Amino acid sequence: MTRLNARDLTLGYDDRPVVHDLSLDVLDGKVTAIVGANACGKSTLLRGLARLLKPRGGAVHLDGKALTEMSTVDVAKVLGLLPQSPLAPDGVTVADLVSRGRYPHQGWFRRWTDDDHAAVASALEATGTADLASRPLAQLSGGQRQRVWVAMALAQDTDLLLLDEPTTFLDINHQVELLRLLRTLNEESGKTIVAVLHDLNLASRFCDHIIAMSGGAIVAEGPPSEVITAELVEKVFGLTCVIIPDPIAGTPIVVPA
Amino acid sequence: MTLTLVAVKATHRRRTVRSLAVTIALACVVAALFVVTMMVGSFRLTALQVITSVLHLEANPGVDFVVRGLRLPTATAGLTVGLALGASGTIFQQLLRNPLASPDFVGVTSGASLAAAGGIVFLQAAGLVVCAFALGGALLAALLMYVLAWRDGVSGYRFILIGIGVAAFFDGLVGYVLSRARLTEARQAMHWLTGSVGQASDQELQILLYALPALLLLAIGLQRHLRALELGDDTARALGTRTELSRAALLGTAVLLVALAVAVAGPVVFVALVAGPVANRLLGPATGGILAAALVGAALLLTADLVAVHLLPVSLPTGVVTGAVGAPYLLWLLATTNRKGAGG
Repeated sequence: MTRLNARDLTLGYDDRPVVHDLSLDVLDGKVTAIVGANACGKSTLLRGLARLLKPRGGAVHLDGKALTEMSTVDVAKVLGLLPQSPLAPDGVTVADLVSRGRYPHQGWFRRWTDDDHAAVASALEATGTADLASRPLAQLSGGQRQRVWVAMALAQDTDLLLLDEPTTFLDINHQVELLRLLRTLNEESGKTIVAVLHDLNLASRFCDHIIAMSGGAIVAEGPPSEVITAELVEKVFGLTCVIIPDPIAGTPIVVPA
Repeated sequence: MTLTLVAVKATHRRRTVRSLAVTIALACVVAALFVVTMMVGSFRLTALQVITSVLHLEANPGVDFVVRGLRLPTATAGLTVGLALGASGTIFQQLLRNPLASPDFVGVTSGASLAAAGGIVFLQAAGLVVCAFALGGALLAALLMYVLAWRDGVSGYRFILIGIGVAAFFDGLVGYVLSRARLTEARQAMHWLTGSVGQASDQELQILLYALPALLLLAIGLQRHLRALELGDDTARALGTRTELSRAALLGTAVLLVALAVAVAGPVVFVALVAGPVANRLLGPATGGILAAALVGAALLLTADLVAVHLLPVSLPTGVVTGAVGAPYLLWLLATTNRKGAGG
């Protein structure tokens, strides 16, 4: 059993169920991408895994315990999440924002310690945002801003990190840059990373494991070369295509037919 | 130690030092204004006379009567009401992520006004009873806002717009109440509605004096949750905040603060709106210090009261001065927020 897993998980909003009886093991120490057409329930699943959405049925377990039975601060020390559109307070600086990631490690009377400073500094360094530390977030480019948000999630210092569409508003260069960053974080510190991604080619190139979803259920999962096939893309996205190998990495590339 | 770590520590130290220095400086300004408020008047006193009398260092019946009997209650009202309004305003603004979201504009103050005016006109209420009515009205209005606007969390302008609607509704009812009143009661109600620190009675002040330190300490203790909530509900929850509980606690504290302030002094407008942004200017952007905002609130209110009572040819209620200064600020805020597109 892996550290983070879901058993017979049912999730939904109001009276509209989105994810049905889904079971999933998030592979420890790997980078996993969740892919699927719009409204297939992939963001809902991620929110469920991060306890932002209470299960209607089934449960998500972290280190053997159901999330609903753990204190939310204890979860936050192990499991981090970067939501799709986090809000930045007016005029906030990069250093201030990243330091707010230390929230779960602080208490009513606990003061700012060396551990906090060290975590913020290494988050800034890992994301290449140390030079931006004193700048207001609003003055940065989209790619820089996204790296700062990742830095905030890193400052939280968790073993598992979930990201909801982290590349959505970035250009191709910044998308690759961000995925390289996630890859490096995984390789250097063994972090388990799960990201909802839209671009199948980039997901195949940078992730160890792909989970393809359709209609609130998992249709296929495994290494990119096994999951990304013409049949699957047709089934999940309704797109007829040809799969060719990436000339550099050999991973699958989807070419519309 | 890496360069980044050194820089991170230095930045943090600078922020701490700045916030400490600003807070101490503000506290000194407030203390000075507090003393000056008791010095001026038809019978002028020196700072030394005021301080010795307030601290009971030396008995001087004449001075003691003027200071402790006449001026200390007003000065204390200005101080405490200002602190409460400043703290409450900045909590509302940060919680709703909008500089327009002061309790003046989300219907809480109007609820208090309606209840108080109703009490004065229909039940001939006076003193502590009016205070109780205002407190009840503010709390009920806050509850109504919560029910109407809070269902799926708060989104910028929705809360403000509903608040303005609720406030307009209450203000309309206040107009109706006044039109049904006899002249003396209407006059009394109008005076209350303008808001003045001079109208606080000793009993009202005592309630505020007991409640304020507890509420302020609670608000400062809750500050770190506010910093997480500012990032949006999803991020806050991912960071381990119990969002509903923290928000309810913060909102409850802010509503109680403003309700008590309005109950004691009437609806003194704009102090709650201005205090937070001024404090942020002094502390640095997005710092949101609640204590600093409270002190700015007290400094503003004490200054406004000095101007209203002593500098103008005719002595006026405090609310007139805060309104005259606050209204242009509000217009400027509306104009610039829209231009930046950052309003909601």
